[in-house]
Amino acid sequence: MKRNLILVTFVVLLVAGSALAGDSTKYGEGVTLEKAVSIDQLLASPADYVGQEVRVDGTITGVCKKRGCWMQVTDEKGNGVRIKVEDGVIVFPATSMGNTASAQGVFEGIPVAAQAKKHEGKEHEGDKHEACDSKPQGEMVYFIKGTGAVIES
Amino acid sequence: MAKVTFRKTIIAVHRDVGYFFAGLTVLYAISGVAVNHIEDWNPNYTVTHTERSIGDLGKIPDDGIAAEVLGRLGIKEKPKAAVRMSEKEYRIFLEDRTLHVATPSGQIIDELVSRRAGFFHVNYLHLNHAKGLWTWFADIYAVGLLILAMTGIFIITGKKGLGGRGRRLLIAGTAIPLIFLLLKT
Repeated sequence: MKRNLILVTFVVLLVAGSALAGDSTKYGEGVTLEKAVSIDQLLASPADYVGQEVRVDGTITGVCKKRGCWMQVTDEKGNGVRIKVEDGVIVFPATSMGNTASAQGVFEGIPVAAQAKKHEGKEHEGDKHEACDSKPQGEMVYFIKGTGAVIES
Repeated sequence: MAKVTFRKTIIAVHRDVGYFFAGLTVLYAISGVAVNHIEDWNPNYTVTHTERSIGDLGKIPDDGIAAEVLGRLGIKEKPKAAVRMSEKEYRIFLEDRTLHVATPSGQIIDELVSRRAGFFHVNYLHLNHAKGLWTWFADIYAVGLLILAMTGIFIITGKKGLGGRGRRLLIAGTAIPLIFLLLKT
């Protein structure tokens, strides 16, 4: 009887822990920077931000539907930046499209040619409409190597 | 009082740990096969695209497009968000569904994302997307598997145990990943 009680308590704690999640969900290390950089500003002068840790706020307009390894955050003007995270470490849910999010990480840029070669023939299923969201800025494609995010539900 | 031997103890431990983790082992096995083949399919979601046309949208301002599109499609759901993605594309986000609206033509790609029944949930546990308390339980499960493996080796004695067939199978099973690693790394 006592053993059954311990087992039931353990299961209840496990389920309750998952169910107590609030209106927002933290991914990875979450967001620690208080001030967000506007995506507009980030894309207008990207070279000024490369290598810096930045936070962006906006609407999720694209998510990697297979692995959840990236999401696109877009501002109200339609400027978007992709948040790329390490596969499996952070997984953005495909059902978060349209939700509000804050994301943080290091702003990086890679040459367009290098990115094209890297992804040659490897686009994930269901990604065809988001594949070009990280618009090249001249010769470079910029993205945020994400360390964390908070998604509102 | 019956004498408690080493063998009786490991059989009892193997039996109880085995019963306790049998269900989770089945779930993890199903998920393991599912995610092993992630290059060939999406083990978590089904994504469908349906093309629709609602006719020319003319010069409707951006803040009126969502209502117009949803009205023409007969959708009463309130969108989570609506964003102008580019000069030619407007996106409307509904629950589990995104409308990619070409403007002003009114051509729409209706993208429906649904969790793959069963698989989404077992993958959620297996890949530890739950984090938190589940990490602890998954660690306990890993220790459980270790106990199952170690006790399993000593359950049978004689020709079918470690003295004969069991030893050969143990060596073969251990050698396969080692040989693979030697050849591939």
